[in-house]
Amino acid sequence: MTSIERRAFVKGATLGALAFTVGGAEVLLTPGEARAQAVPLRALTAEQAQTLEALGETLVPGARQAGITNFVDLQISIPPEQALLEARIVNIRPPYANFYRAALGAVDKASQALNSGRGFAQLDAAGQRDFVDAMRQNKVQGWQGPAGPFVYFILRSDAVDVVYGTMDGYKALGIPYMPHIPPVQRW
Amino acid sequence: MARKEKADVVIVGAGASGSVYAAVLAKTGKKVVVLEQGPDWKLTDLISSDFWGRRIKTAGAPFLLEGKNPYGYSYQSGWGVGGAALHYFANFPRLLENDFKIKSEHNRALDWPIAYRDVAPFYDKVASDVGVSGSAKAEEIWRPRGRPYPMPPMKTFRNGDVWLKGCESAGIRMVPAAVGMNSIPYKGRPACIYDGWCHVGCPIGALANPLVTYLADAKKAGATVRARSTVTRVLTNAKGDKVIGVEYYDAKGEQQVLEAKAVVLAAWSAQNPRLMLNSSTDKHPKGLANASGLLGKYMMAHFASGTWALFDDDVQNHMGTTGAQYMSYDRYGKTSHKGTFGSTYIVAGTALKTSDLGGFANARPDLFGADLQAFMKRAARGLTRLTAFGEEMPNIENRVELASDKDEFGMPLGKIVHSFDQDAVALWNANFEEGLAVAKATGAKEVWSGRGNMPTIHLMGGTIMGTAGDNSVVNSYGQTHEISNLHVAGPGIFPTSGASNPTFTIFALSLRGAEQLAAKWNTVAG
Repeated sequence: MTSIERRAFVKGATLGALAFTVGGAEVLLTPGEARAQAVPLRALTAEQAQTLEALGETLVPGARQAGITNFVDLQISIPPEQALLEARIVNIRPPYANFYRAALGAVDKASQALNSGRGFAQLDAAGQRDFVDAMRQNKVQGWQGPAGPFVYFILRSDAVDVVYGTMDGYKALGIPYMPHIPPVQRW
Repeated sequence: MARKEKADVVIVGAGASGSVYAAVLAKTGKKVVVLEQGPDWKLTDLISSDFWGRRIKTAGAPFLLEGKNPYGYSYQSGWGVGGAALHYFANFPRLLENDFKIKSEHNRALDWPIAYRDVAPFYDKVASDVGVSGSAKAEEIWRPRGRPYPMPPMKTFRNGDVWLKGCESAGIRMVPAAVGMNSIPYKGRPACIYDGWCHVGCPIGALANPLVTYLADAKKAGATVRARSTVTRVLTNAKGDKVIGVEYYDAKGEQQVLEAKAVVLAAWSAQNPRLMLNSSTDKHPKGLANASGLLGKYMMAHFASGTWALFDDDVQNHMGTTGAQYMSYDRYGKTSHKGTFGSTYIVAGTALKTSDLGGFANARPDLFGADLQAFMKRAARGLTRLTAFGEEMPNIENRVELASDKDEFGMPLGKIVHSFDQDAVALWNANFEEGLAVAKATGAKEVWSGRGNMPTIHLMGGTIMGTAGDNSVVNSYGQTHEISNLHVAGPGIFPTSGASNPTFTIFALSLRGAEQLAAKWNTVAG
């Protein structure tokens, strides 16, 4: 049996997918598709979502369109055992929503204190970059919440996941994905 | 109301060590029940994706983490049937002779109660059972001769080959890595196709995970594997000298009692002592088999010094396996690096993915925005890594104990306290220094050390073996000194950790322990 045949042998035997709720029904979508269809958020507030989207885009260009907010929102609203977040493998204690709410709150609170009341999403691109660079180095004055470098690490990982961790992300980088069992919906 | 059921032996945990015990004992006709707290994974669940691969990492009651270097348990541990061996890299190096007698030779750490020669025949048996690819002859420059491996070495790719020149310049001899994977079809399982998804589970069975090796053998011989079954206590008789079964919660959340003539705890280094501590009685007030006070003590981890090299040309870094193509024991002597103590095991050549802890993006965790974007494009074809694993010496302060918080079944959570000492830090630094020198000699465009928080890899100790009940929890077979029909299996019984990946040794020691339990069944459990 050749390599390609072996891959074909197991192809399609997939389990699970990202099931977003649209109009009361569960449909399989990529987070980017969920964002494009304005799928309602389950766990994040509009303000938290705005902050996360701006942070994601600052960390990894393309994360906004790839649906980082819909991805994180879905993952923190399902049982921790089903979550696909990197938070799961770096000792963050469930429920993961607690971490994200604390992290996003810390970012906005610090941003407002340092920028005349403007939250992170209201900063210009240069201001956002400077803030993230300071957060990465634990140098944000008055920071209160989970350690800044850890928040940077986790949110950056989420942004990397949605932009580069998908089959489309591999394709964009020119890397063969070569799955034994491909994820549903190129995800 | 708990219903009582009877088995000959109950095994707690369906990972590497539990599966070996299950296979050996089921083949002798014993009624074997394996209780596993996580789900019942099938090969078809192992989706090739870093996202989906996180489902086979731990999701049970969390361990609380303390110390200067909190242990990274959620990345290392397993969740469900197959355990951590469902997502391990299947590097199959072995311990060497010097690992077994550190106390005797250096007056430090601990001696094992056995020598390399006692384990060697079981390495050979396991290699034959599960399939190992490599060159025994090549690695016998560092160890006594044994049986040849059943399969030739795996293919290599440029991401491994590019390191050879640099290693040679440093006097580091690299040989084909011994791996628990099929370089050719073996025992009805196909050969590896080198697509680098080992770390999220190999669904074709080319990698020797328990589902396609010992656990499959166990089921074929009649063993029952019961998923979603969380053991909370090991039960003992009134006299306290025998175990009589376990108490557990089934998939419906109902409490059950499973009576057995012998119990094997194979639930991983941290969970085994948690269970034993939670099973205290008036005869065992400090926890089962803990008269020594050493239950949960001497937890150990490996640490890695990763060195990155970025080439302008294509090093085929999407090809290969998550484990290693080349390995070396040339720094395995305990005093190989001046001013440090402990062994180093070096590997090169690994398939890389984009995300997750070991992916491209985390090779430069300082980069974000446009800088990260540019780096990812260059890394996509040119990035490769050399890794040196270091040995942590046993320290009694590194421990598992019960916390006051409880899980959903009312069982106290476990707490892992872990800090590296100065010897470990010095060895970590020395390995970075040498890795950088090696990388510079490869001719790569850019080289750098992958420094960050000092990583904790693998988990060993907590139920260490020794010569007697005053210096250890179990004997060399994993049998507890105080309760003859209670065995502990897995890396928890290592009294020192070596520097090499532990699973080959876990399989070998489990096979040794299981065969002993089967041979002595009538006196121990009959």
